[in-house]
Amino acid sequence: MTKPLLSVEDLTKTFGGLHAVEEVSFQIQQGEIIGLIGPNGAGKTTIFNLISGYHPPTRGRIAFNGRDITGRRPYELARLGIGRTFQVVKPFPGLTVLENVVIAAFARHPKRADAERHAWQILESTGLAGRAGLSAASLTLAGRKRLEISKALALEPQLLLLDEVVAGLNPTEADQTIKLILQLRDSGISILVVEHIMRVIMNISDSILVLNFGRKIAMGKPAEVTRNPEVVKAYLGEEAACKP
Amino acid sequence: MRWRNLLWIGISIAGLLLLPKFFPDPFFLRIVTEVFMWVGLAITWDVMAGYTGYLNFGHGAFFGIGAYVTAILMMRSGWPFAATLPVAGLVAGAAALIAGLPTLRLKGAYFAIATWALALAVQQMALVLDITGGPDGMRLPPFLHPQFFFYLMLTLVTATFALLWFLLEKAPFGLKVKAIREDELGAMALGINPTTIKMQAFILSAIPAGVLGGIYAYWITFIDPASVLADIITDQAMVMAVFGGLGTLIGPLIGAVLIFAFKTYFWAYLADYQVLYLIILGGVIALTVVFLPNGLWGTITGYTGGRRILRKALSVDQPQGSGEKET
Repeated sequence: MTKPLLSVEDLTKTFGGLHAVEEVSFQIQQGEIIGLIGPNGAGKTTIFNLISGYHPPTRGRIAFNGRDITGRRPYELARLGIGRTFQVVKPFPGLTVLENVVIAAFARHPKRADAERHAWQILESTGLAGRAGLSAASLTLAGRKRLEISKALALEPQLLLLDEVVAGLNPTEADQTIKLILQLRDSGISILVVEHIMRVIMNISDSILVLNFGRKIAMGKPAEVTRNPEVVKAYLGEEAACKP
Repeated sequence: MRWRNLLWIGISIAGLLLLPKFFPDPFFLRIVTEVFMWVGLAITWDVMAGYTGYLNFGHGAFFGIGAYVTAILMMRSGWPFAATLPVAGLVAGAAALIAGLPTLRLKGAYFAIATWALALAVQQMALVLDITGGPDGMRLPPFLHPQFFFYLMLTLVTATFALLWFLLEKAPFGLKVKAIREDELGAMALGINPTTIKMQAFILSAIPAGVLGGIYAYWITFIDPASVLADIITDQAMVMAVFGGLGTLIGPLIGAVLIFAFKTYFWAYLADYQVLYLIILGGVIALTVVFLPNGLWGTITGYTGGRRILRKALSVDQPQGSGEKET
């Protein structure tokens, strides 16, 4: 294995007495898609917030490109090349779709004309170019999720954190988004993806990381993980896991 | 279209430049000069409110600080008037930096309350200090030249308008402050440091207000805490901006012209009922917020940002965390 793009060691986050994430370690290689799954409340979004700098970790260490980034602020990490989307999408509703993406493009292209050119390219690739002049508030849910991805992409990230970008889309829209994610992977971007739709996550992920009550209970190839009794127990309960 | 706009701007500025030639009446010039000043205060207030999403209830303090800096430098140190203006702007900017460090961490109504309290503190300070003359205020040497102040105010406010228009509507800075107004946490994920941008916007709104205060002091020749540091300065600029339309530069300009024209008319012809003016001002802001939340300009152009800006800037329950639920 080459040097990992992201390396997370013993990551722990407590909120008061609650251990939201406990001693989780994993690595992401360049060009790899890691699926992050777990029941509700397992700590998936907390992991996202820790890696993207929205929460400082209580303990543990996060390294990106071999550099310690523990405790760095979200805007520093965005400039370093970690892009993220939000489960509850965060468009700038009073601005146009293009302006939304241009703002992100400033991270790499400080001049307005360059940022706009870059934003147009992103919108072409995510299929939003036809709606560039519309207000972001006027987009459908599918459109907003695409906008969310477009903004993260405008940062030209090496690592992309996607939080439920497929959930809530109809099958056609979902297939388009999956195709887009695979294209991004092929272009060399590493992706950490949280998704509840198993069909999606099992198909696109190179490895799956399973969390339960903030702890890592399994990590491996999709086929291995689904056979892991711990995982079955977490999802379906004790009895199901005992069956052969 | 662009040429047409430029033509209009050219005609307006030429008209304003020639105004004293055709209407040399000092009373009239004085009113127009004061309109310029209020346009300046309303648009700079809107930098924070309409563009950045922070209602600054202490904007008048920057104006007052500028007025006192000019007065103190001229009277106590013997500086020439022109040299005091850059210092008035810089001190107001420095005051914004100091005031911004604690207050810009606050959101919504908390920011509004904190800035209001800080402005009161500045007023109290001017009342107790010796250098400011305490409650007696300060008298400046009279310079009775209405045209001088007319052109000075016009130049400063036009330059401020042009600078703000460039920074907020053309340069990347404008989109960055709007991103903060729309969603501060979301903006952070895109590489924007909200603290830096908010501080820049706060200082940008304070410096011209300070210079305006300096000009005002020399123009009016007498300042005291009850005039240049009064709540009414912030309040009136705010009503002008909200009535005209938040989140634009044209809106506050229109609001300032209309409200000041109304005020002058009211004071000139209904002098016995001056106390009513404040009540009417309060009524205007209440009615605007309820029935015309996008302001005059917003209603005319269909720009609906004003309503959202007001609602957000006044809310107290904005999420402090990442704004999402755990799954």
